[in-house]
Amino acid sequence: MNSCINILEIKDLVKTYPNGTQALKGVSFNVKEGEFLVIIGLSGSGKSTLLRCLNRLSDPTSGSVKYNGQEIAGKISTSNKKDVRKNIAMIFQQFNLIPRLTVLKNVLTGKLGSTSTWKSLLSFFTDKDISDAKKYLQLVGILEKAYMRSDQLSGGQQQRVAIARALMQEPEIILADEPVASLDPATCHVVMDYLKKVNQELGVTVIANLHFLSLVRKYATRVIALQNGEIVYEGDPNLINEQWFQKIYGTSAAEVHVN
Amino acid sequence: MDNSNVKRIIFDSLMGGYILLMLLAVIIRPTDVQMLDISSNMILFLGLCLFSGVMSSLLNKNKYKTLGEILFESAAHKSYGKSKVFYQTTWGWQLILFLFLTLAVGFTMTRFSFTELADKDSLQQVTRLFYGLLNPNWDILPKAIIKMIETIFLAFMATFLAIPIAFVLSFLCAKNIMKHPAAFALYTFLRTILNITRSVEAFLWAIIFSVWVGIGPFAGMLALMIHSVVSLAKQYSEIVETVNEGPIEGIQSTGAGQIQTIGYAIVPQVMLPFISFTIYRWDINIRMATIVGFVGGGGIGSMLQIFQGQGMWPELGAIIFVIAFVVWFMDTTSAYIREALK
Repeated sequence: MNSCINILEIKDLVKTYPNGTQALKGVSFNVKEGEFLVIIGLSGSGKSTLLRCLNRLSDPTSGSVKYNGQEIAGKISTSNKKDVRKNIAMIFQQFNLIPRLTVLKNVLTGKLGSTSTWKSLLSFFTDKDISDAKKYLQLVGILEKAYMRSDQLSGGQQQRVAIARALMQEPEIILADEPVASLDPATCHVVMDYLKKVNQELGVTVIANLHFLSLVRKYATRVIALQNGEIVYEGDPNLINEQWFQKIYGTSAAEVHVN
Repeated sequence: MDNSNVKRIIFDSLMGGYILLMLLAVIIRPTDVQMLDISSNMILFLGLCLFSGVMSSLLNKNKYKTLGEILFESAAHKSYGKSKVFYQTTWGWQLILFLFLTLAVGFTMTRFSFTELADKDSLQQVTRLFYGLLNPNWDILPKAIIKMIETIFLAFMATFLAIPIAFVLSFLCAKNIMKHPAAFALYTFLRTILNITRSVEAFLWAIIFSVWVGIGPFAGMLALMIHSVVSLAKQYSEIVETVNEGPIEGIQSTGAGQIQTIGYAIVPQVMLPFISFTIYRWDINIRMATIVGFVGGGGIGSMLQIFQGQGMWPELGAIIFVIAFVVWFMDTTSAYIREALK
């Protein structure tokens, strides 16, 4: 499963916000096809910025991101940006579903990138789109909620809808920006298990920001630690020992376990 | 000199200049000719302002806090230590003088007079008016109802035709959508145009359109429509500006375009408040249609104007009854609907 093809090659990525904050100070790493890469680090270490630079929700200040060998970090056209986002889907800490729409409609929005504007505004989705949406809802185990309004679902269920929306894009990569940070510990594992399933059964590469090391050890195939916008650790999640932990999270930190 | 000091000096100067000028007016009681000599008065006012500015500096240097100082002093300087009763303070006396003099001049300006109110002839006239209003002439009821229906339709058309224009404008006038520099320029331009248009009252538009298309409901409808477009565009755009950013990013991350993002992430969030504000606008338009009709905009307002001009109070009473009933009915109904939409 873990082939050796680099799906993403990130080199010297820098992001400086207009207020002068340097969120990323030259980050370089590669992402292999099919891996479950986890990025850890304190709040403010640049994890979210890094993910958002990969699908161009943020524009990197300098550096290079090659997706399947094609440069996507510099100035690219709007349609190229859309293509990047279509292929590199994202799920968020706050789920970011449309509250007033049904679950099914929310999943169908995953097809917006490949539906023409006027068709989508008139809600003309093809029968295949609808059956695909139902297939992915089945995959994340909430098909029975398809016609409920998404804001009536619990947090964990909403995040599963968000995963189904991401799958609807038929992406090669899913970026997960702290996908379980607003969920309770039990729900955490449910959502993470579905991400693992997506990674292993559908072969989608996953890059996730996580806070809990116990989750990292359970799900990650490889881990990167960020500190103040720089990579301080890269490697096997099981090799992060007490020493490394304190280096990443500061000497006063103590590990919290999520069971 | 820092910012708060500048604000204090300007405020105290204008306030002091005003107080001294009003004091002069109360003491001297100027004639109309003297008042019309604007340029001399302006020089006098500026002189008084200058004097007050100097006084403000002197007072504050000697630890007497003026009103400007109280309003604008930087938080760091604020001393909460010794609190005095307001009449023991400089700023308190400033405020008392300001209110007292404004009231004194105000009574003169509005020619306030109890004798007018209690005058025997006036009382007789007003009794006749109330007697007429309270004994409506119901013969004109059918005509009043027809005119009222015309007014309701006038208000409906004005609202309905305003919706699509205001809808499009609302996105172009929302800061969170118009971020791109070129878009921001358009945003600023449209906002300015809308602000200027909104400052022209609906009845002024009615005067303009009654000249343009002739007196009648069409002129009134156009006047209310213009007013509705600018009011709705402002209210709609303020709703758009408060939408949750999360769903917008959620939709953007699927590779959706700008218009798709508006359609899927913003419109579902703003639809209910939009409808609620639109119903309220229709409600307002029915009330405003009466005033617009008064200046040539057709509907029941025109009828009201005709009878009012001839002093036909019983007829006027019937019309006022019809208006009051419809306004009350619309007000209540729209309040219920808007409550249900929440």
